[in-house]
Amino acid sequence: MSDGSRQLVLFQVGARVFAAVAADVRRIAGSLVEREEEAVAETALGRPWDARRGLVVGAPEGERTVLVDGVLGLRAVPDSEFQSLPRFASDILPTAALAGFAILDEVPTLVVDLPTLVREGEPGRGAGPREETRHHA
Amino acid sequence: MPLSIIDRAMAMREERGSGAPDPAPRVPAAGVAEPDAWYFAVRVAGGRYAFAAHLVTEVVRLGPLTRLPSAPPFLLGVFTHRGEILPVLDLGELLLRRASPTRPGARAAVVHADPWRVAVLSDEIEGLIRVPRRRIGPAPAAQGAAEFLQAVIADDMGDIAVLEMPRVVSVARTRSVPA
Repeated sequence: MSDGSRQLVLFQVGARVFAAVAADVRRIAGSLVEREEEAVAETALGRPWDARRGLVVGAPEGERTVLVDGVLGLRAVPDSEFQSLPRFASDILPTAALAGFAILDEVPTLVVDLPTLVREGEPGRGAGPREETRHHA
Repeated sequence: MPLSIIDRAMAMREERGSGAPDPAPRVPAAGVAEPDAWYFAVRVAGGRYAFAAHLVTEVVRLGPLTRLPSAPPFLLGVFTHRGEILPVLDLGELLLRRASPTRPGARAAVVHADPWRVAVLSDEIEGLIRVPRRRIGPAPAAQGAAEFLQAVIADDMGDIAVLEMPRVVSVARTRSVPA
């Protein structure tokens, strides 16, 4: 984040386009993950069709790779173009990984909190209801 | 004709043999004229529903929806309206598990019950209605379908279920958690 804008990585899972804060992504990899346990395929975003790319994210135990269908590129988005998830949606969605929206070409694009997405995707830590105390983006 | 939410609540109460009194009309004290109440009514899945009028800020036409992953069926997605992102609630799906058709340009009532602000999709907007207090009764004392109800209005066209937004959200949250 700098000069009033944030750098986003745009990626695709299935037919949907999502965004994530670029600083959360250590690198972009192919889907070939050295250790299978590092891969995170099934998430609150759905399951990728082809899983041709991976977003490598830092995790307490090392690195995890969120499998996606494609990486569309980077984009700097002014802070003014970000909006938090509406309270009604955040209260109802069974995941805390949807941080809000970035308005890209007048289209609200979901901004995903990748560390939270990875945490929720870990075995035994399925997506659950949001905590009441969660701060909104 | 499917059972409305009020029909269901009444039927459940009769099945349970509840001794709860019928929603009796409120009678103002002699000489005291209670002002009429205002509600905003919509039609959804063959039923009539209303929110307190002051909660409905405007009626909008839905723009292109952005679907939300992992969302329950009654949360149709979000759209932008004058720069604001509004979630869209399918009341028919939530209340009766009957999805409303989301045709382009469908109308929705924007309900603002702090902290929630949501566009409620409807089949038809009735709009503001003025209701004499004596026509407003308490919600049937039943579980299930009546859990959203704040009151019931009886007017010349039938019953209207008055919805309470915190209860709607509370039940929606419960139903959104995967089993």
